[in-house]
Amino acid sequence: MRFILRRTGFFLFTMWAAVTVNFVIPRLMPGNPALAMIARYKGHINGQALKALELLFGVKAHVNIVSEYFTYLDNIIHGRFGTSYTFFPESVSHEVLQAIPWTLGLVGVTTILAFILGTLIGLVSAWRRGGLLDSMLPPIFVITSAFPYFWIALLCVWLFGIKLNWLPEFGGYAYQSTPGWQWSFISDVLVHSILPATTILVTSIGGWILTMRNNVISVLGEDYVRMARAKGLKPWTVMWGYAGRNAILPNLTGFAMSLGFVVSGAILVEFVFNYPGVGWMLLDAVSNEDYPLMQALFLLITLAVLTAVLLADIATALLDARTRDLA
Amino acid sequence: MRHIGPSRVVALFAAAALAIVATAFSSSASTFKSTAKAAATSSLTISNESGTTWTCGFNPFNATVNSLSFGTIYEELTFVNVLKSGAATPWLASSYAWGNGNKTLTFAIRSGVKWSDGQPFSAKDVVFTFKLLKKYPALDLNAVWSVLSSVSQVGSNKVVFTFSTSAVPYFYYIADQTPIVPEHIWASIKNPVVYNDATPVGTGPYTMAKCSPEDIEYLKNAHYWQPGLPKIDEVYYPSFTSNEPANELLATGGAQWGSQFIPSIQNYYLSKSKNYHIWFPPVANVSIFINLTNPVLSQLPVREAMAYAVDRPKVSELGEYGYEPASNQTDIVEPTFTNWYDSSASKTYDGYTYDPAKAISILKKAGYKEKNGVFQTPKGPLSFTIDNIGGYSDWVASVSVIETELSAVGISITPDNLAANVFFANLYTGKYQLAYNSETGGPSPYYELRQLLYSKNSAPIGTAAATNWERYSNPKTDALIEQYGATTNPMTQKSIVDQLEQVMLSDVPVIPMTEEVDWYQYDTATIGGWATPADPFAQPAAYNIPDIGVMLLHLYPKS
Repeated sequence: MRFILRRTGFFLFTMWAAVTVNFVIPRLMPGNPALAMIARYKGHINGQALKALELLFGVKAHVNIVSEYFTYLDNIIHGRFGTSYTFFPESVSHEVLQAIPWTLGLVGVTTILAFILGTLIGLVSAWRRGGLLDSMLPPIFVITSAFPYFWIALLCVWLFGIKLNWLPEFGGYAYQSTPGWQWSFISDVLVHSILPATTILVTSIGGWILTMRNNVISVLGEDYVRMARAKGLKPWTVMWGYAGRNAILPNLTGFAMSLGFVVSGAILVEFVFNYPGVGWMLLDAVSNEDYPLMQALFLLITLAVLTAVLLADIATALLDARTRDLA
Repeated sequence: MRHIGPSRVVALFAAAALAIVATAFSSSASTFKSTAKAAATSSLTISNESGTTWTCGFNPFNATVNSLSFGTIYEELTFVNVLKSGAATPWLASSYAWGNGNKTLTFAIRSGVKWSDGQPFSAKDVVFTFKLLKKYPALDLNAVWSVLSSVSQVGSNKVVFTFSTSAVPYFYYIADQTPIVPEHIWASIKNPVVYNDATPVGTGPYTMAKCSPEDIEYLKNAHYWQPGLPKIDEVYYPSFTSNEPANELLATGGAQWGSQFIPSIQNYYLSKSKNYHIWFPPVANVSIFINLTNPVLSQLPVREAMAYAVDRPKVSELGEYGYEPASNQTDIVEPTFTNWYDSSASKTYDGYTYDPAKAISILKKAGYKEKNGVFQTPKGPLSFTIDNIGGYSDWVASVSVIETELSAVGISITPDNLAANVFFANLYTGKYQLAYNSETGGPSPYYELRQLLYSKNSAPIGTAAATNWERYSNPKTDALIEQYGATTNPMTQKSIVDQLEQVMLSDVPVIPMTEEVDWYQYDTATIGGWATPADPFAQPAAYNIPDIGVMLLHLYPKS
């Protein structure tokens, strides 16, 4: 109980620090959203629109920063994130809520898949060390993980999208599709996610395989594994119940962290594939000096990571009796 | 008890994955790749990358989305063609006339026009629209109320604008650049500045039928006031967050009308089909802006030498793939405004054609001495930074050519590639030495020259100036500019522009490099009626408003 209370207290303190940094950083950027908009529409907005735009975005010359900070804190607590400048006049929460499912869907599912597949392959490779699986899969995936992500992504776009014309290479769905819950739309979304998902999988799975494999190898040397084997348990049972369960513990924290980072949206993925998620939205917000949107997204990422770390700590405490005793 | 071994688990998983993928592929057959639909009705797809997904808002006063509704859904009083030096075509107003020494402008409003919801359109809506701009200055993107004193309805179908100061050129902003909105809807909107306008009602040739973040579908307005038009039934406007997918949609024929910057356009686009065409009409100048308050740069010989030292055709070739023609020092855009070009004035300066030997001799004649390859002047060495927008790769390439050429005559330039917002913050407040940028221009060279030279547009260093970033100030030039604003006589206008060209030649406040163009690609396979150099009936890019409407009305399906 004390353990959970302590962890939650630490969580709240870190949240406050993050929220304050989140307030300060966008305001250190030079320029203002009106200028950013004129920049964005290279030459298509009349210079005389500057005053109108500044009025629109409420750019004020002199601001009392302390009162603005407290207003900001109050708004955060009530979930009021303001109006976006990039997507004017839509509210920030409306836009973020629209983009989040795409990122959670693509990057979230792929991260979970990469973790599951990676640990499975790592486990089996370590158990059957030197076998066919072990000599092929880990080396291949470690090599693919070493490639820069954008290089593999662009290669896939060129090869499968343009040259062979097998798969769609941009967008969350074909622009002519009507969004809805009908199967034609869902299958369209699934097909559009194949290329981005595959590139993420291929570049991230190597890490999981390697760490799991190494964990399992070190666990295999332990006494209790030898004891289980000596008891005559089936190899499958020993691998799953004894070696696997213990080897996965260090990976859990890493997994929770990477889940937290899912929300940062894998900006590169979404940029290369034009995927309408949160990562690309953050990139856009920063280029357009869209303070409200930027703040909301930074906050989202911070919240996600901190929550993930908290949950990982709790999960480790529940699964590993050793940490519980120490706490 | 049988165990499911590891290999079986993997096999089961793989089978499930394949099954899902197979069903996805089979059921979404032709639609999973974004290609053009083959339909009984005629359709057109536009490829114009805007950098974000659509918000499905269509407020024509919102600069982020007005290109999605102004021209197609909302219309203007009179169409002014920039490519024909401001030739006017009556639109929602059937005629107009200046009066009272060019201090009043009267429009006769066309009858028989209906809003897309069936309500009749009238002069009331025009007056309402302009009064809305006055009440909410955030909507007044062209600052028309800086020159107007009132607008009112006279009789049943006339609208009179009264000017507080002579501003004949503002006709363009009032008649062509202001979308007319319906009073019966907008009068009840509490705050039109943040009004989303998700179901826009306009007088235009198209209505908004469907909108998702990835695509907008326009359908032709069955009650449009021009009979028999438009001929294209459906228009699709997909959103793109980066350039490459937009270019690709054009190259594969999925879109027929492009407004894209495409590098190596011959390889990437033109070679793919004999029906693909391009045209890049120039409309303004990309120039080296010189901070005239800088003591070293305030010396005229320095600026003259810089103007002679750069090979503009080379900058155009290496920086802009040759897409943007080289500019000339008079700031007249050719061939769009060739009629205005004062070639005899330009000849006295040899047109500032590339002549590095002349540049060096000008510097030497001013008494400057060269030290370590850089000329020294009494006010300081000829060593400057040039601000540039790092994200515009073509401008970065152009500036690197300029850097090489200026260093060959003893002027050292260091490019400073900045993020766009930082660049504009510096440019507007005058915190730079040299900068590379363009003005927006308008339907005659006067507009760009006024943006460059009118001191009342500018602001002191430290305060943001919307135009005239070089802080040029000369009362004689101001007087010329104001004189133009008071006249509708073409001969007077030409003579004033000639004198402004002379200012550009003798004072060298900025050095025009290449001419900014409208990006335009079109596919003649299934659609005809496109704007061409032989028939420049409107500015041809999809982001030109309200020209997008004029173009769409000109197009027809080829059977």
